[in-house]
Amino acid sequence: MKKKLFIGVLVLFTCFFLSLYAGQQSPVHGAQKPIVIGGSLPLTGTYSATGKWVERGYQLWAEEINGKGGLLGRPVKLIIYDDKSDAKEAVSLIEKVITVDKADLLLGGYPGTACTAVMPVVEKYKMVYVSMGGHMVSFSQGYTYSFGGPPLMGEWWFVGFFEWMKTVPADQRPKRVAIFTMNNPIGVSFMDSIYKGCKETGMEIVIDEKYNLPLTTADTMIMKAKQMKADLLFASGMFPDGVMTIRACKALDYSPKAIAQGIGSVIPEWTKELGKDGDYVFSGTSWHYKLKYPGNDKVIKAAKDKYKEDEPPLYFGFGYAWMQTLQQGVEGAKTLDQTKIRDWLRSHEVKTIAGNFKFDSKGLPKPFAYLTQVIDGNVELIWPPEMRTHAAVYPKPPWK
Amino acid sequence: MGKKSSFFLIGLALLAIFPLIRPPAYFLSFLFKMFLFIILAESWTLIGGFAGYLSFGHVAFFGIGAYTSSVLFQHFSLSPFIGALPAGGVAALVALIIGYPCLRLKGPYFAVITLCFAFVVDLIVKNWAFLGGSEGIHLKLVQMDIQSSRSIFYEIFLGLVAVTLLYVRRVQHSKFGMGLASIREDEEVAQTLTINTAAVKIKAFIMSAFFPGVAGGIYAYYISYIHPDIVFDINISILIVLMAVFGGGKSWAGPLLGAALLTVVNELLSLFVRPEIARVIYGAMFMGVIIFMPDGMVAFFSRRRRA
Amino acid sequence: MFNTAVVIQSIVSGLLMGGIFALFGVGFSLTWGVMKVINIAHAAFGILAAYIAYWGLVLYGVDPILSLIVSLPVLFFAGLLIHRFLIQPITRSKDIVVASMILTFGLAIILENLMLVAWTSDERLITTSYSSKAIFIGEIIIRVSSLLAFCVSILGIAAIYLFLHKTRTGKAVRATWQDPEGAALQGIKLTRVSMIAFGLALASAGAGGVAMAYMYSFNPPAHNLWLIYLFLVVIVGGVGSIIGSALAGLIIGLITGLSGAFFPQQWINVLLFGLLIVILLIKPEGLFKS
Repeated sequence: MKKKLFIGVLVLFTCFFLSLYAGQQSPVHGAQKPIVIGGSLPLTGTYSATGKWVERGYQLWAEEINGKGGLLGRPVKLIIYDDKSDAKEAVSLIEKVITVDKADLLLGGYPGTACTAVMPVVEKYKMVYVSMGGHMVSFSQGYTYSFGGPPLMGEWWFVGFFEWMKTVPADQRPKRVAIFTMNNPIGVSFMDSIYKGCKETGMEIVIDEKYNLPLTTADTMIMKAKQMKADLLFASGMFPDGVMTIRACKALDYSPKAIAQGIGSVIPEWTKELGKDGDYVFSGTSWHYKLKYPGNDKVIKAAKDKYKEDEPPLYFGFGYAWMQTLQQGVEGAKTLDQTKIRDWLRSHEVKTIAGNFKFDSKGLPKPFAYLTQVIDGNVELIWPPEMRTHAAVYPKPPWK
Repeated sequence: MGKKSSFFLIGLALLAIFPLIRPPAYFLSFLFKMFLFIILAESWTLIGGFAGYLSFGHVAFFGIGAYTSSVLFQHFSLSPFIGALPAGGVAALVALIIGYPCLRLKGPYFAVITLCFAFVVDLIVKNWAFLGGSEGIHLKLVQMDIQSSRSIFYEIFLGLVAVTLLYVRRVQHSKFGMGLASIREDEEVAQTLTINTAAVKIKAFIMSAFFPGVAGGIYAYYISYIHPDIVFDINISILIVLMAVFGGGKSWAGPLLGAALLTVVNELLSLFVRPEIARVIYGAMFMGVIIFMPDGMVAFFSRRRRA
Repeated sequence: MFNTAVVIQSIVSGLLMGGIFALFGVGFSLTWGVMKVINIAHAAFGILAAYIAYWGLVLYGVDPILSLIVSLPVLFFAGLLIHRFLIQPITRSKDIVVASMILTFGLAIILENLMLVAWTSDERLITTSYSSKAIFIGEIIIRVSSLLAFCVSILGIAAIYLFLHKTRTGKAVRATWQDPEGAALQGIKLTRVSMIAFGLALASAGAGGVAMAYMYSFNPPAHNLWLIYLFLVVIVGGVGSIIGSALAGLIIGLITGLSGAFFPQQWINVLLFGLLIVILLIKPEGLFKS
């Protein structure tokens, strides 16, 4: 019958389990046994464009710390699996990392849905998890081992924008706001700061619509905004839809006083591929390479030398900053005991390239957000004033 | 027959005592994932393999189950282990409603309409604030240590696998199964043989939606964060079909084999091979299997033995 | 509410977009109709052509339209080879529709990841000197790049239509598709005709991919999204119908454009897929096939 086939399958299974066990028993002992830091990232599939930059950030940190003699005197070894842009895989792989690879420390995942799905799991295993998180909801579930160091908080994303807007004289501010947001966790979490900010600065919201990805056309949205004479446009999307919105603005000759983007303009492709059309777009960020915190020079140099990027992308810096937080937790607690690391992180300040953070009971630092604007193909920092690299170009010059 | 049943029972017993040796939780989770795909592929084969109606929207039933038990848990504090049954019921009900019009379509048209159905359900859930919209639902965590909770989920899914397998196997050799097979071979001829094809098809469709619904209901509690991108992931739909066809959809053994093999291969590839290359090998595997065994592995091996 | 200008603008934008979907979907419809092959890798080949156009533009300053001179023959011959070595072996399968879907699904994964290795997952955008120029007709605005892509679509569809109706080979393709046995009796070589049709379909995927790239950014995984449009076009237009595909593209574009003017954005896709379900239920053979 099918006996042969079944036996074959049985053999394959046995090999599978043996190979996993074999991988786990590394014979190295003593002080030189490396500290294993593991996790998964989307290295193929939809989110791979960003996932690979997080991986590069992690690797930069690992190379650096190994060059300096390691963590707690031991070299570090990264284990990064590909979760194929699937949150379910991310959950399964983090369990592999914890229970089979016996990782000493965990790496944060990407995107928000994956982090949110992983956070309850690491809580059960009592392992410290430093990542971008999945916005305010994910940090409000009472998890104690998850830290956003720094987080990507949609709720804070446009806080910097409105802080800056308050410095603009009231009569020069936009009056009518059009909001087009993608319908996903990031997009929805943006709305918090937009509603609050519009109220505080006395702007009227005339269009407030969500769209589901993928976006087929942005022309109608922009026509509506133009028709309603909105002079501030929030297009809170990712890269593909962000590009379509901007191109539609130009083609339809719609020139509001300011255009604010979600997370589409934070990847280097925005300036590289879009060129001049991408100029003058505002966006928030949690990290920027021109921030005056120590360590950013190294990140800039690594991006230029290794990946030929003049401007290190957001997620490159993110990956590096998360590892800095983790490193300080370990070095501060002077142990790999997860609960001690957690307690240290909760009671001390960490210094990262994105800023100095003190974490609250949710694992979040104090609300912060930087405002950026693309000016002449460079992403410049506009807010806060002490970090400013360029004055805001406002109102936006009309399309040529 | 007797020999096969005892083989089946021994395998089941071995798997059932596996958590007792306290293996790393990952192995339980991995087998849990495999069980999930076995359940999904087996129940898919009722309509897709036996009757030849390729449903590409089966993930919708899984997701509907997940959302049903989550809502019951969230708003009525009904434990998902119990809520899984109504979850399966809702999935079956939805199958009944959409089955009537959809099952009139044949071949690729049925495939596309079920695919569209899955898209529509996904989008509606994303737009519906009561169901958490695009932010998803966070469930309270299971109040027990991870090893025990993983073991419990494992045992429940193992039980569900056994039930599904037994059911599908029984169907295959029953009059109902013969009816489905005759529909697959030639629906018009089947009708002239006084088979009520419409009733047979809808019954198969409902049962093939019920099991994924139950599985989804339990999976919701397992993953504890329900988001449309996770439970309505269209790749699950595609993967189920591939698994069933890979193994051979005309018998109960095919989807079992396909699901088990593909989950293992996929895992090994993603653990040991460079990501892009792993995907290339994965793709090549599909092409190889379909070129050399166009009717699935089970058919290929039984034919070789006969030859 | 919105005035007529918005409505007319939505119609114009929608039609331009729909024309591009039509070209992209026509080859998909052809292989499905002629040889019962559902080519899941169709969109991936479109992305491949988009990359050829992109690199031609970035490295040598060649206009994307001109890049078709290279990519169309390449894809045509790739189509012949794929048909000879991959599709023909599975024609002995009992259910060629299923077998072809799995085969081309594997092919799509391979293609996607080879492109990922070669060109990374960076998002790409075709930016030409005219990519954000527009023509104004009264209040109505027509984008030059959309118009150009639309013209390519019209030409492409016309070429395929003329080929199928005016040339001997084309007539043979149509004959085999309408009546395989009768065509075989007339001495038409089924495999040769199928091979040519498959090559043609891939070439049209290339042209469609370049046209799509005028509107959308792309990276290798994007073919999964583009695939959805293919199914839309084929089902609305009817499998194997060239004119049907063309009209289906326009209708889909029109619905997307217009519904955006009257409904909240987040319900547009629901509307579109819901409509598709209704069409399938009422007229499964497509709106334009008698």
